[in-house]
Amino acid sequence: MKIRKFALLVSVVGVCLLLLTLQARGYGASARDLLALVTTPVQAGVARAHRAAFGIWDTYQDWKNVRAENRRLRDDNQRLRVEALRVGETTDENRRLRRLLAFQERLPLKTLSGEVIARDWGGWIRSLTVNRGRGDHVPRLAAVISPDGLIGRIVDVRPGAAIVQVLTDPASTVGAHIVRTRASGIVEGDPRGTLRFKYLARGGTGIEVGDVLVTSGQGALFPRGIPIGRVRAIDDRGSALFHYAVLEPAVNFARVDEVLLVTGDTRHDLATYFPTDD
Amino acid sequence: MRVLLALTVFGGSVAHATLAPALGIGGVTPDLPLIVVVLLALRRGPEFGCVAGFGAGLLQDAAGGGLIGVQALTKAVIGFAIGAAGSRLSVTQPLVQVPGLVLLTVAEGLVRFALLKVFRFPAAFGDVMLYVVLPQALYNGFLGAALVMGLAWFQSLRARAS
Repeated sequence: MKIRKFALLVSVVGVCLLLLTLQARGYGASARDLLALVTTPVQAGVARAHRAAFGIWDTYQDWKNVRAENRRLRDDNQRLRVEALRVGETTDENRRLRRLLAFQERLPLKTLSGEVIARDWGGWIRSLTVNRGRGDHVPRLAAVISPDGLIGRIVDVRPGAAIVQVLTDPASTVGAHIVRTRASGIVEGDPRGTLRFKYLARGGTGIEVGDVLVTSGQGALFPRGIPIGRVRAIDDRGSALFHYAVLEPAVNFARVDEVLLVTGDTRHDLATYFPTDD
Repeated sequence: MRVLLALTVFGGSVAHATLAPALGIGGVTPDLPLIVVVLLALRRGPEFGCVAGFGAGLLQDAAGGGLIGVQALTKAVIGFAIGAAGSRLSVTQPLVQVPGLVLLTVAEGLVRFALLKVFRFPAAFGDVMLYVVLPQALYNGFLGAALVMGLAWFQSLRARAS
């Protein structure tokens, strides 16, 4: 048994050596050709299969890469959008603050700037909370304005914050007059969130849609000449003596973020300090 | 079973010339037929190892375009030797498989180099060992161990299924 094994090994080694010797003497070409007849088609087939398999693999890899790249680009896009929003927001805030600062410096009044930190926009109350309070010596009933016009008055002063009653609050009343005719009346808020100019004498005021109303300064609570709004509609219904006008506020209360609190003397006419497009 | 084994030897040898470059790591490719021959010889004994090595080497020679008979001879010897020693070796441990295949590849490289030198092979021994034989031996060791473990896992799965 053992001899058979070694005989096999010796035979195989012998065949190999014979093959090598024949090749060394130049007789190997035909043997090689014969083997190539068998191996070449198989090699070609394997190469084709290999290429196909790797083609699928490459396609899969490409797909994976594209997917990963897509995810990365989405993330980048999201991040850049957020950044653009942040930049836009900062630019916007910067512009607003510059405008407010320029306005504050222009005014002949003592004012204190404040930032809106909360809003109460329910039907019962319409108020803003600003980040100025007792520590800043904010007086109660101080007028609150913006570069666009009147916002309201301080109704409550707390440590670190103050509550501003907005003009559209149903409890808000401000003495006002029409710039064009000087006819005066009272501007009130109503539960719908609009402003109404009341107590207009029927036929005597000559009020028209588009007229601008400003504070009258009566009562010395608000400085005179601060824009309140513009007449949007005139309503003839009501009592026999008076009618009222619906106003479009000069300030967009929902979007105001920075305000000025009038802390000093209010006996000034501010009409020339606000933009007019009349 | 014999047909399957013949196909394994044949396919492994021919595929080696075509597929081995794709498996290359840093220009080093494994000697797939050698691994196949060693694994078969360990299970089937020296005669089978000798014939499988001869067949695989012969096909590898033909596919690779070198001197026909060199790898047939070296692989036949390796197949025979490992088949004869297989019963005395415990090859289930990777600690044996990896160095075992490394040594076998080095041995095969030495025999092949010696044989080729007879036929005026021009390369220097140090270069062949450093850049061809030793890196391939390491690759064969790890790849062979992975194959052995893969086969063992497959067999255990089959045993559990039956």
